[in-house]
Amino acid sequence: MNNPASQENILVVDNIHTFIGQFHILEGVSVKVPKGSITVLLGRNGAGKTTTLKSILGLTPPREGKVLFDGIEIQGKRAFNIASLGIGYVPEHRAIFRSLSVMENLKIAERKKGDFNRNADFIFDLFPDLERLYKLPGNHLSGGQQQMLAVARALVPDNKLLLIDEPSEGLAPILIQQMMEAIRSLSEKTTILMVEQNFLMASQLAKRFTIIDDGKSVEEGLMTDLVNNEAIIHQYLGASIKTRKELEQQHENKA
Amino acid sequence: MKTKRKKIITIAIWAVLSIAIVAGLYLYAGKEPFIRTTLSGLTLGSLFFMVAAGLTLIFGLMDVLNFAHGAMFMLGAYMGWQLYTNPTFIFALMPFILAFSAGIMMTSVIKPYLIRLKLPDKWVKILPRIGYALALIAAVLSFAGLDILELADTAMVAASVATANNPLAEISPQQPLAAFWYRPVLMLLSGLFLAFASSKPGVKTEFALKENILQKLLVPILLFILTIFAIIVRESAPEAILLMNGNWRFLISMVVALAFGFLFGAVIEIAFIRPLYERSFFIVLMTLGLSFVIRELVQLLWDPLAYQMVRPPLFAQPGKAANLLEWLRNGNATIDIYGVTFPTYRLFVIFLGLIMFIFITLLMTKTRLGMIIRAGVQDPQMVEALGINVKRVFTFVFALGVAMAALGGIGAGPFLPIQPLMGDQYQMQGFITVVIGGMGSYVGAFVGAIILGMGRAFGDYFALKLSLSPAIAEASTVIIMVIVLLIRPKGLFGKKE
Repeated sequence: MNNPASQENILVVDNIHTFIGQFHILEGVSVKVPKGSITVLLGRNGAGKTTTLKSILGLTPPREGKVLFDGIEIQGKRAFNIASLGIGYVPEHRAIFRSLSVMENLKIAERKKGDFNRNADFIFDLFPDLERLYKLPGNHLSGGQQQMLAVARALVPDNKLLLIDEPSEGLAPILIQQMMEAIRSLSEKTTILMVEQNFLMASQLAKRFTIIDDGKSVEEGLMTDLVNNEAIIHQYLGASIKTRKELEQQHENKA
Repeated sequence: MKTKRKKIITIAIWAVLSIAIVAGLYLYAGKEPFIRTTLSGLTLGSLFFMVAAGLTLIFGLMDVLNFAHGAMFMLGAYMGWQLYTNPTFIFALMPFILAFSAGIMMTSVIKPYLIRLKLPDKWVKILPRIGYALALIAAVLSFAGLDILELADTAMVAASVATANNPLAEISPQQPLAAFWYRPVLMLLSGLFLAFASSKPGVKTEFALKENILQKLLVPILLFILTIFAIIVRESAPEAILLMNGNWRFLISMVVALAFGFLFGAVIEIAFIRPLYERSFFIVLMTLGLSFVIRELVQLLWDPLAYQMVRPPLFAQPGKAANLLEWLRNGNATIDIYGVTFPTYRLFVIFLGLIMFIFITLLMTKTRLGMIIRAGVQDPQMVEALGINVKRVFTFVFALGVAMAALGGIGAGPFLPIQPLMGDQYQMQGFITVVIGGMGSYVGAFVGAIILGMGRAFGDYFALKLSLSPAIAEASTVIIMVIVLLIRPKGLFGKKE
């Protein structure tokens, strides 16, 4: 990723303010997402990471500030218009359509006829389980399978950007590994902005990070710089999150 | 596996229970009363379903309790009755409606250009207001001096004067074309002004693609051609329809009620409900208010009287048919079903309800739209995030629900008196049906409607047989609701609380 074209930002969020009801949730968030890599949003619970993703997509439209996607101003537009420009969304809590079958969950995401058939091979390579479960209703899937379906759904149309909200939440360790592999191979095809509480996973996948604290973006930079910066980690991400060194040690002990 | 076994056991218990109830009723009432009561129950259930299907779909997807559903059922009956008895009124209004919609449909053509205009902030604010004001002025001028009440009266007069041999007993004169032509033109202008205002010239946050402009132009052009056609045929078309065979006329009046319901529902949703989705309490007030407005309008146009619609010839010949074939050949008024004499028209109502259920089932399970609706019932925000215009789906579902109610209205026309309050009772029963079946489930609405219709019919039967007060029969539906809610608080097929 050394050529200059990859430095171009596909998404620029510039100082957005979002209200939900009367509550001022985002008080100035700025995020830059370079093309062709993974950027991660970090921060404590309730800091406003999910709201940032929703504000980009227009599900909770920002009242102030600008959002530029692929050079177009998208703030204030309707969510379906924004998504149609080429943004895929994987919400938290595995929000698949439980009353629809796996097949329908994938087919509903088509923006043009034939989207699914074109990308089916890629999707089933990534998540072989889904091919087997193709005809089952969504509510018969396990938690991990639902999460995979939620990611797969975002891959049906050719999206230029994926917004992924906590892909590892509530998954068993072995599934986290599988999900990580999937997201890594996805990042070769498209750009990803994700929210991730699992710092180990985030640090291994992401190239850049933005930390959101109390509704404001406070730090950003390269992930490689962050993993060794204990001060920032402890200030914004809390004591529960360990630096890479500690995590690796823990990992080795387990093994 | 455990859930599967549990499901099978539940189904088995329900099946045994319902067979026991049915067998008990059969043994107690005897064969003929049982069949007769069952058939009346199915007729009632079919009507309940036509009202409840729309209610449950609308509630399931948008959480909107439509208290104007009964009024729309009534309006469907009036529209169908108008077309069947004397369509002068409908055809006289057609040019206005078509011209207006041709104007409005230009929105998608002009919007991509208007929103890209660079205008000073002041103009961005003022221009839409000017547009709305001009649209209103043009619409008022367009109708000024036209005696709508007289046009509306034509069907009433026809109903009292016309005979079977001479349906054209009273053809009401209309304004000559030379004095009429400017009215649709003004209406077209009104629509265009509205299109201009609603495309928000100069507003940068609006979004519309310049693609396929020619394709988008097709709809307004088609509507414009239809307007001209409607202006020309506005006097001859009513006659042509009245000269038709009554069966065909009835079929057309059902199609008209359906189409009217669909368009009316779409307009109501876009104009009155859409701005209020964020404040759901106001939607209840809005629909309740709408039901009053519609009822008063109907009373103004057609007076607060009850009309009896003539049954179509297929259900009108005196005498009893021995079987279905004989009925279809002779058009008997009654038919023999296992020794019970039953009105053929009621059989048709049962059939209509069944057709509607099959249609909804196919729509919901076999089409992409049905898939989107089912997904939207669970999570409309996520559907929107996939790039699907959920608001347009909302409009469609609302329009479809109203269309079904309107079809139910004209379906009930030939055996219920047509009057401004005819929908209220069915709306009440429709809500009970939805509660029994489970909010948002059309299968639930179907099963609930049958249970409710049966409950009502057998309630009436027992009230008569045991000389109880008729109030008990009327209470039977509410009693069923209470029992179902005690056992399953979400309703029989409900997923939503």
